[in-house]
Amino acid sequence: MGFETGDIVVGLMVAALGLLGLFLAAGAWDGEMYLFGLVLAGFAVVFDFGLLRRHYDRVDAARGGADHG
Amino acid sequence: MAEAALAHHRVDYNDDVVKKFIIASVFWAIAAFLVGVYIASELAWPRLNVAPYLNFGRLRPVHTSAAIFAFGGSALIGTSFHVVQRTCRARLWGGDALANFVFWGYQMFIVLAATSYLMGFSKSREYAEPEWHLDLLLVLVWVCYLLIYMGTLMKRVEPHIYVANWFYLSFIITIAMLVLVNNFGIPISPYSAKSYSWFSGVQDALVQWWYGHNAVGFFLTAGFLGMMYYFIPKAANRPIYSYRLSIVHFWALIFIYIWAGPHHLLWTALPDWTQTLGEAFSIMLWMPSWGGMINGLMTLSGAWDKLRTDPGLRFSVTAVGFYGMSTFEGPAMSIRDVNALVHYSDWVIGHVHSGALGWVAYITFGAMYYLVPNLWGRQGLYSVRLAAWHYWLSTLGIVFYISSMWVAGLMEGLMWRAYDHFGFLKYAFVQVVVAEHPFMVIRMLGGVMFLLGALMMVYNFWMTVHSETTEAPRADMIPAGALAAAGE
Amino acid sequence: MRISHAFIERNSIVLLVLALLTVTIGGIVEIVPLFTIETTVEHVNGVRPYSPLELRGRDIYIREGCYLCHSQQIRTLRDEVARYGHYSLAAESMYDHPFQWGSKRIGPDLARVGGKYSDAWMYAHLEHPRRLVPESLMPNYAFLATTPLERRDLLARMRTNIDVGVPYTKPDLVQAEADLRAQDDPGADHAALEQRYHGAHVVPGNGHPTELDALVAYLQMLGTMVHFSNVTTEQVQQ
Repeated sequence: MGFETGDIVVGLMVAALGLLGLFLAAGAWDGEMYLFGLVLAGFAVVFDFGLLRRHYDRVDAARGGADHG
Repeated sequence: MAEAALAHHRVDYNDDVVKKFIIASVFWAIAAFLVGVYIASELAWPRLNVAPYLNFGRLRPVHTSAAIFAFGGSALIGTSFHVVQRTCRARLWGGDALANFVFWGYQMFIVLAATSYLMGFSKSREYAEPEWHLDLLLVLVWVCYLLIYMGTLMKRVEPHIYVANWFYLSFIITIAMLVLVNNFGIPISPYSAKSYSWFSGVQDALVQWWYGHNAVGFFLTAGFLGMMYYFIPKAANRPIYSYRLSIVHFWALIFIYIWAGPHHLLWTALPDWTQTLGEAFSIMLWMPSWGGMINGLMTLSGAWDKLRTDPGLRFSVTAVGFYGMSTFEGPAMSIRDVNALVHYSDWVIGHVHSGALGWVAYITFGAMYYLVPNLWGRQGLYSVRLAAWHYWLSTLGIVFYISSMWVAGLMEGLMWRAYDHFGFLKYAFVQVVVAEHPFMVIRMLGGVMFLLGALMMVYNFWMTVHSETTEAPRADMIPAGALAAAGE
Repeated sequence: MRISHAFIERNSIVLLVLALLTVTIGGIVEIVPLFTIETTVEHVNGVRPYSPLELRGRDIYIREGCYLCHSQQIRTLRDEVARYGHYSLAAESMYDHPFQWGSKRIGPDLARVGGKYSDAWMYAHLEHPRRLVPESLMPNYAFLATTPLERRDLLARMRTNIDVGVPYTKPDLVQAEADLRAQDDPGADHAALEQRYHGAHVVPGNGHPTELDALVAYLQMLGTMVHFSNVTTEQVQQ
């Protein structure tokens, strides 16, 4: 089952945001930029994980119930 | 016929993102009111300023951003998503992922902005304090918001764009313009949160207040008028009073509002010609504003009795009343000779809060009292009586707030300009500060009442969503699922 | 095709474009001429860019939100001029990125606070305002006195100011660190500092400025740049 277009576009965009965050945090001149970079990176991880979870939840629901394992 | 086809058109609306924004908005309302009460207390008892993080200078933008962007913004985006789907009979464009990104991205922006102010990062532009990196994040979220909104409009089944959407759309696009221009600046390094503004001095002053006044005009007015144009007719079960009035006041409002910025800069080093333009347009602005008020109030024709039984509608209609009051007060304060007395004084704060509490918060509460039972498929509110208590306590709070600020503001203006019989200034600045104290306390109490009312609302919503029991169900309240099935 | 309102209401792109065009007009008419009308910023002498220490002090003023309680704009009103001094000219804030005119007076206007109080008063008041003025609502800023001034980004700050139009020169940049330390040291040689930044107020530090030193240096020059006895009416007409 393919991913929805919206999922892919948004997922990639957020991943890029997260990567940018890591670079900003790595070179940060002040605490605010450091925090910003880490929050972006953390957000990207959690959000993209959420996208994946929802995708596979939909796959499972379409299959008519979760398979264990 | 087309009507029959529409009636059978079943739509699976994205209610999930609307619910998220409603929950967020209610949460931020409490946060904003709490910080507001704290900073109000600091102005009565300065020992509450715990340096450096809780000092008034760092905490005030937390309050204004929480009230405008966190509470107000979440309510606007959430209700706009609800309204555009229902009036277009189309699910949100862009899919769940994009809608969720707008939600979570916006919440992330809010949290980062608040922490940045406490950490000492601010552009010192009122209502545009977040530094450049957060501005860019906001731009990204806002572009996605506009895409979803326009995309949904363009895939609409209903051919005619309902009036609420004109207001929401103009709010979205104008805020984009304002934010992009006002926040022009250059960071000292891509790795630093500090930046310097592109503009300086008098030009910067006007760019900031062109933005600042229109943040009020489009974020806090046009957007919430969109809310009014949907939720008042819905709750009253009446059509909008006048279609023609909608058209006239919409275009007049969005045109005239933009020019009003200079009324924040009267008697300053801004050139006289600019001040005069701002003053003239601010006074003219009274008319399209009252056009909106009339349209909102007269929609209740034939349904005034609902005010006795529907506390949500009571909030909405009172909101329109406060809107009329504030949009008369504003033009009055824009008259040069009035402004000479009240600028820099607490009357400005009183004016801001009659609009923010009386109009913005109340129209939002009205929309939420309608939406929460509706979206969560409940028969009605858990307690209509509690909602009435909320209304009366908050309204008393607003009255305490604005009347104490009127008195304080007039007093300040008069004391600052008072001469003794030798022709010298009569009062030292600090004497005025001392005289204000009782009004600072009264204002704080007004805020406490407003906060307590909001906490009642939170409890009421919680119980509405989680409790099996409800009070007398409203005859015209239908669970959201049934509406979709009936082809709303 | 006639543009009736029904047409606009059935066409989302037209609605979007017309709304956007409508809201751009006021801003263009009011803002653009402020850049094209030459006399908007009056042609007076004396206004100069901030010295490095003053610039850093200004950044701290912005960071702490001082503009929320203090205005820096004396209006053209008699009682205001009597209380604070000559009304503010646009020229006096021409290098302020961003402007600090303020919008509320919980505390007094600071446009001409420079030189009104001694350094000793300034330091004592900023650290614990209510020890000097018991009725004051001002918070304590004692933490500024114990925080050394961050200097590693000084050149980046000045270069960015150049990018937004402030006329710092190459020598200004080269000497920035030295100027900063000289302005914080009463015993140092101030000839070069004075030549680059006329009227810069030297604060009683030890050459290693704290954040409070920077803030006082900034406050003590506010409103002192233009000598109004030399200014004619023609010069201030906008």
